[in-house]
Amino acid sequence: MLAYIVRRLLILPFILIGVTFLVFFMMQFLDPVQRLAAYIKSPEELKNLSSEDIERLIKRYGLDRPLWVQYLEWVKKIVHLDLGWSEVAHQPVKDAILSRFPATLELALFAVFPVIWVGIWLGVISAVHRDRLLDQVIRVFAIIGWSLPSFVFGIFILFILYGVLGLFPPGRLSLWAQAVVSSQEFKSYTGLLVIDGILNGRFDVALDALRHLVGPIITLSYLWWAFILRITRSSMLEALNKEYITTARAKGVPERLVIHRHAKRNALIPVVTVAGMMVLGLLGGVVITETIFDYPGIGRLAATASQQLDYPLILGITLFYGFLLVVGNLIVDVLYAIIDPRVRLE
Amino acid sequence: MRTGRFLALSFAVILVFSSLAIAQLKNPDTIVIATIGDVSTLDPHFSYDTASGEIIYNVYENLIAYKGESLTEFVPLLATEVPSFENGLIKDGGKTYIFPIRKGVKFHNGYELTPEDVAYSFKRCMILDRSGGPSWMLLDPLLGYESIKDLVRDKLKVPSWEDLFTQDGKLKPEYEKGMREIYEMIDRAVEVQDDKVVFRLVKPYPPFLNILAQGAGWSAIVSKKWCVEQGDWPGTPDEWWKYHDPQKEKDPLYEKMNGTGPFKLVEWKKGEYVKLERNEAYWREPAKIRQVVIRRVDEWATRRMLLEKGDADAVYVPRQYLPQIEKMKGIRIIRGLPTLAIEVVLFNFNIRVEGNAYIGSGKLDGEGIPSDFFSDVHVRKGFCYLFDWDTYIKEVWNGEALQPTGIVPKGLLGYDPNGPKYSFNMEKAKEEFMKAWNGEVWNKGFKFTILYNAGNEERRIAAEMLARNARKLNPKFKIEVRGVQWSTYLSDLTKGNLPLFIMGWLADYPDPHNFVQPFLGSKGAFMAYQGRNAVDLAKIEFDPLIEKAMEIVDPKDREKIYFEIQRKEFEHAPHILLYQAMGVHVSRTWIKGWYYNPMRPGGDFYSLYKSAD
Repeated sequence: MLAYIVRRLLILPFILIGVTFLVFFMMQFLDPVQRLAAYIKSPEELKNLSSEDIERLIKRYGLDRPLWVQYLEWVKKIVHLDLGWSEVAHQPVKDAILSRFPATLELALFAVFPVIWVGIWLGVISAVHRDRLLDQVIRVFAIIGWSLPSFVFGIFILFILYGVLGLFPPGRLSLWAQAVVSSQEFKSYTGLLVIDGILNGRFDVALDALRHLVGPIITLSYLWWAFILRITRSSMLEALNKEYITTARAKGVPERLVIHRHAKRNALIPVVTVAGMMVLGLLGGVVITETIFDYPGIGRLAATASQQLDYPLILGITLFYGFLLVVGNLIVDVLYAIIDPRVRLE
Repeated sequence: MRTGRFLALSFAVILVFSSLAIAQLKNPDTIVIATIGDVSTLDPHFSYDTASGEIIYNVYENLIAYKGESLTEFVPLLATEVPSFENGLIKDGGKTYIFPIRKGVKFHNGYELTPEDVAYSFKRCMILDRSGGPSWMLLDPLLGYESIKDLVRDKLKVPSWEDLFTQDGKLKPEYEKGMREIYEMIDRAVEVQDDKVVFRLVKPYPPFLNILAQGAGWSAIVSKKWCVEQGDWPGTPDEWWKYHDPQKEKDPLYEKMNGTGPFKLVEWKKGEYVKLERNEAYWREPAKIRQVVIRRVDEWATRRMLLEKGDADAVYVPRQYLPQIEKMKGIRIIRGLPTLAIEVVLFNFNIRVEGNAYIGSGKLDGEGIPSDFFSDVHVRKGFCYLFDWDTYIKEVWNGEALQPTGIVPKGLLGYDPNGPKYSFNMEKAKEEFMKAWNGEVWNKGFKFTILYNAGNEERRIAAEMLARNARKLNPKFKIEVRGVQWSTYLSDLTKGNLPLFIMGWLADYPDPHNFVQPFLGSKGAFMAYQGRNAVDLAKIEFDPLIEKAMEIVDPKDREKIYFEIQRKEFEHAPHILLYQAMGVHVSRTWIKGWYYNPMRPGGDFYSLYKSAD
């Protein structure tokens, strides 16, 4: 298995070169002035900019050089861990990603249980009660969630949880908690505020951070349940029809064990694949949910970067995603081997 | 049936809850603002946008400030007196300004304000002069050039700034003497004399005090000692050029602030919020509010709820959503605020033909337009008569905008309420188009495309209105309206591909010169995009008058010239004047002390406090 992991990691740089070059290649379809849009962000900024200034800016950022020269320059800087400057984020690309990613990671971590676990749980119930009322209700309920546009459902949840109940406000922290976190005494260990809060002994801060996660998590859960539920359900149904299940039942194994030990374990393989993709999706950021709940995750950053053609940031995030994807898929593969002893990683 | 009733019931419950839940006064010593503005730099001499300007306004201070809502009266701030001819602090027919500097003022880090700091600040801003930045407003009156690069090119006879340097970025020895002389010019323009600072202008400049007033970041006062500690220009002639036009991120003051103002910077969390805290050692009474947080919240529905729950005290409200909050309890909406901004459709007199997809065949054959289509005044006038102001202002602005009578907006010297203006008139439009291009336009028709930057609905509707009315007038008049990404728009605009384009202008300082120069001056900001023929027209018709108006100090005489300029503007119709919008301010009623000044970028937090009704 170790050899397999090492081999996969060795491919990593090639994949990263591939994806970033692809992004770079797309740049060819934009002329230098179009790419300057990252630096001149609105008509107002043209106010005192002569055409000569525009030429100068193009030169300054090297937008007129041949593509491969620009790419090599970029790679050369990457080696020194310098991802360049992001005009959209107003900070170095590296800092921008590092400051936004913990928020996304935190949301993803806390969303995994409700989104995936509950989704699997619903799928199992659905399969066990196949075509009966409970199954129908769960499926209809989930399919509604899947069909709802996230901006509609997100705003609805925000309205209920915050507008009406006043319980779960948008943002990442309340004003007072923000002040605590920015203060000198508060040490940032992980950037995950719930964990940092606990490590600093500030349980009130941890609780406040958790409170701000509720809205996005409910939204994501309901929107994504159908996906995982359907995979689980069909794969469960297939497993339940297998002969070894009949054997188990005939042996007199209690139904609960039949379902959870015998059927579910086997049914989980495809679910792990999908769940892995979902976790990676969460880590990549959820643009609309982040926007509605004013949650400073990486999704919004990536969206703004591509809208405004902030190439250094787009490349930085591509690199980062590429890395995540490779490592994430590797973890999923390893999980296969753990769940299903028949799978050998060689 | 049952679910229906359940839903109805739960909605009723929700409605009752939300109407009962009147927000209590939250965070009594903190003001929270939720907006979409994107702060881009904290260096006052680099910044040229209102989102950054709002922070700078509350942290840094200038020599003088506007008196309350006035645009013409000033109060001293870091100076102890406002110069005037009467008190002898303006001399030499308006070419010398003297400012006595206040004593006992401290910067946020504890350094004491000296006249040396004041002189340094202005020299720093002039030397910095970043591309597309605000420094031209000081350079023009003090040195007679709009940019350092122009000055260097003119004095040292080099084709461009880059030619001054060798490959490795060193100044070529032959230019060293000249560069020193240029520094001396900068140095002489602003000088310390005991406890005073003296400005020497190259010519009388009527709006000079406006250019210095609070709200103008380019005239904000920084601490020399502190700047040097941050690695900024040391205030010496040696290698001053290294501090010219820096890259934003390499500017030492990019994300640090040290002003004398009522608030100090606590944190700039990029893209999320800016936090300010009261300066307890302020030279006046400390501010009433302890803390200000300016949060960036992109989604309107989220901002609306923050306002409703009282977690935000003021929010940015896009015009079309105003009706949603009109009935909200505890909200104050102030309408009809005069802004000093004007929106204009500009004609391109010399459209680029090569590879231009927006002008059809590129000929006057009914399937396109020629390059100089808009050079014919009758074409331009025809289009002016095609715009339906009444409908547009009613539908798009809910009546809260004015049709301009000239490029000088209402609220400024030179605004002429009775000046001639175009009105929507199909008959006259027809008359003009029939005269255009010897009647060929009317007989053959034309075809071209108007672009707008996608997302800007006001511009889309204006363009579509022109297109619709043109087709109504003559079915052979074909205009396509297309929304494109800003990057495409920018590229096509700078290449000269756009037949006509819509632009807005927000006043830098409240003087008519700041409107006539960019729109009618041959060196104006947008003239370059309007083509060679437009520049030639401006040189003959407008430049002499624009210059003349700046040589006169008496407002009455200046006004007459601005009236004349605008009559000529009407006659030549180099653009269509779309509208001057009225501003709206939305906040909780518990915010007290708010007042309006159109030159202020955002809020004056020093004047604000919170108290339950």
